[in-house]
Formats: sequence, C-alpha cells, structure tokens
Amino acid sequence: MNYSTTLGVVIIPDKGNEGQVEHIYREKTDKRILKRNPWRDYRLHCTVFILVVIAEFIGTIEIPIAKDVAITIMPLIYTMILGLVFYLAKPITWIQRKQARIAEGAMMLFIGVLIAKLAVASGQSINLIFQMGPALILQELGHLATILVLPIALILGFKKEAIGMTNSIGREPNVAVVVDKYGFNSPESRGVFAIFIIGTVIGTVFISFLVTFSLSFLPLHPYAFAMASGVGSASMNAAAIGPTLAAFPGMETQIEAFAGFSNLLSFCVGIYIVIFIALPLTEKLYNWLEPKLGKDAPVHKQEDE
Amino acid sequence: MPDLIDGSENVSVHGILNWIFLLTIFSIITAIGNYLGYHHPMEQSLVGMAILSLITLAGVWMERYLPLNVSSILYISIIGIILAFPGMPTSKFVLHYVSQVELLSIVTVFLAYVGIGMGKSWDEFKALGWKAIVVTVLVIAATYYGAAIVAHIMLVLTGVPAA
Repeated sequence: MNYSTTLGVVIIPDKGNEGQVEHIYREKTDKRILKRNPWRDYRLHCTVFILVVIAEFIGTIEIPIAKDVAITIMPLIYTMILGLVFYLAKPITWIQRKQARIAEGAMMLFIGVLIAKLAVASGQSINLIFQMGPALILQELGHLATILVLPIALILGFKKEAIGMTNSIGREPNVAVVVDKYGFNSPESRGVFAIFIIGTVIGTVFISFLVTFSLSFLPLHPYAFAMASGVGSASMNAAAIGPTLAAFPGMETQIEAFAGFSNLLSFCVGIYIVIFIALPLTEKLYNWLEPKLGKDAPVHKQEDE
Repeated sequence: MPDLIDGSENVSVHGILNWIFLLTIFSIITAIGNYLGYHHPMEQSLVGMAILSLITLAGVWMERYLPLNVSSILYISIIGIILAFPGMPTSKFVLHYVSQVELLSIVTVFLAYVGIGMGKSWDEFKALGWKAIVVTVLVIAATYYGAAIVAHIMLVLTGVPAA
C-alpha cells in the first residue's frame, strides 16, 4: 500500500491521538523489516534483478505520434508494470502476498536511497535553490489546484467523499490528516482512501505519461517542470523526473535538485498547506456547490469495502 | 497500542543488520542496472551506492533513536545536502561517486519493488468504480499543472533564463 511517503512522515500540529495515525507506516515497516529477515527472501530479490535486467535491455522506447511529439516509455515503467504482472500472474507462484509485503517494507527503506541521491543534487546546487526560493515555495500553493476537481466529483455523484478526494493528492501524509480530522469511518476518509489506492496503482504510470505529453505541448520553463514533479510522492516524483531529464539534456543536476527539493517541500510544507488552507477551502466550496451540483440520490460508495 | 511498541522494541543490532543486508542487495542490483543502462563502471557505482546507503541508514537510524519527532526523509535530505554542500571537504568525493549512479537506475530498481508491493492493493483497486478513477486522474493532473504553472509564472516574473 504505502509506497510513496517515508517511514512515517508528517508532523501534525495538534494534540490528541494523531501519534498513532502518523506512525502507522513506520511501525508497519519496522515490523516487516525486522521480523522477517527480508533479505533472505532470495526469490523476491532475484525476481527484481531479472526485471531490472529485462528493463535495461529493452531500454527507452520512443513512439512518435505526431511531428515533434513522441511518447517516451522508460525502463522504470517496465519494471513497475512487470512487477505487478508477476504478482498477479497465476503461473508465477514464487511472488505471492508474502513477497509483496516484504517488497512493500523494503521499498520504504529504499525511498531513502532515492531521497539521498536527490539531496546530494540539491546540496550541490544549493545556491541555485536559494535564488529560486520564491518560485519553489509558491509552487507548493499550486497544488491547491486539486480543489478545482471538486465540482466534477460532485457532478459524478460523490457527496462528502469529495472533500477527502479533492483536498490534495491523497498520499500517506494527506490520508493521515483527513483520518485525524474526520475519523476513520467518515465519508471524507473513504474518499481519501479511494484516491490513495487508485493513486498507488495507476498514479506512477499516469504521471509519467502526463509529463511526457506536457513536455511536448506546454512551453513552460524547464525548471517549472522539474519543480512540478515534486508532488509529494517518491515514486510519482521519480516517474515525473524521468521524461523531464530526457527532454532537457545537460540540465540533469539542476532538474534533480529542483525536483528533489520541491518534493521535500511537499512533504514538509505541503502538509500544513493541506491542514490550514486546502481542507477549509474544500469544505467551503463543498458547502457552496453541493446544493447546486450534488445529485439527490447519493451514490453508493463503491469504495466502502 | 501494545503491538506498535512491540515493533520498535525489536530495533536492535539485529534490525540494523537487516537494513544493511537489504541496502546491500539494492545497491548490487542498482549497480548492475546502472552498468547495463548507462555503462558506468560497476565498482564506481558501488561506491556511490554505498555512500547513498550510509546516508539512508543514518537517517533511518536517527528517525528512530533521536527524540525529535521528525521523519527520516528530512534527516536523509539534510545529511545529503550537507555532504554535497559546495566547500565541504566531503563534497568532491561524494559528488564524484554519487554522480556515477544515475537517478533513473535507482528509480528502475525501486519501482520494481513498488510494482510487486502494489499487487496487494490490486483487489481493493478493482473494487473502486470508474468514477473514483476519473477523480484520481484529474486530481493528479491538477496537482502537477497547478505547481508547474505557478512555478513558470514565478520564474518568468523573476526573469530566470530558460537554460
């Protein structure tokens, strides 16, 4: 489940029992990593190794769809999809739920390596980051654009779920905030869980294609693409950086620096933006729009179970 | 919450060894992938991965042992930034070896674990309707474009050349 955040991020600034919510992920990781001797599961690691070799041999594929427009598919997409296929495929009996749990625990540790690599790029370019400070900080407010999706969620028939769905991108820290505020069994929490699960399964692939298309169509500043890739999820961040690096050769360090730093900001600052701005704003908009757009018959929440 | 406390009691030498073994496996796979994909010499990328693994280990350790309520991401980022800071005695060494490991090589291995791990969520995913999928896709797009457009406007306003 929780692949995108850290080993338990988020400092939620208020009292009460949020301690449990905020550390769920870290504790889960600890339990898995510590009790199962995860490195011993050679089937898992050999499978990963084979996936990586296959992916690197295929290499990057470019599919031209129009003049100057091409879809780039990178090895990182193959390994992820193949990993999922290996888990789901019946004939492959050595990758089961147990391996998936170990993989999940292990990747929480490996996020650290990814973050460390980006941090080194940030340290190297620290002067540049200070120069771009205003852009870096203000683009965090750009994430508030998710609230614009609220009317569409209402038209589709969601009720209070929509508040949980559209206040943010719905990764672990956001889930923790919503659960903390509305309670585990509230419709708002159901909404954010739905976004979390769907984001987990399709988010990384989707953002990789989204970025590829945007790079061809949108004449934005290269640094803007780099900063935007820091959406607050390590794997989505990574998948978004891939095509950006490929599109601007020679700017690797700057792009990695901005992407890493912006993702770090999303972790640290983003959570406060959600608590103090996004959630109140989403609620206001909901109260205003729901009577106008909401359907009478509430949709039976498919995400209920 | 007895079982939560139970989890952290086990953080011991034994636990750290598990982290070290996992990071070693990860480093070896990444170094091979890095060689296949980008032809960086294997021993150089292994040193690079060792540096990154040590930073990770330090950050993960600090998260669990220091009294501050701070995530390992923050510790890891701060250590990484300081080690690579221009003028630091470590920066030349760290930059040389870490630059041998392409970011995308790390990501490729990382996402293989993510892919296998996400299999667990597959059933829950299938239970959700298409409407929720539409909303998710729009939310991700909105986050990305919101940030990109604000960043672009700020960069243009502050006159940053596009290169």
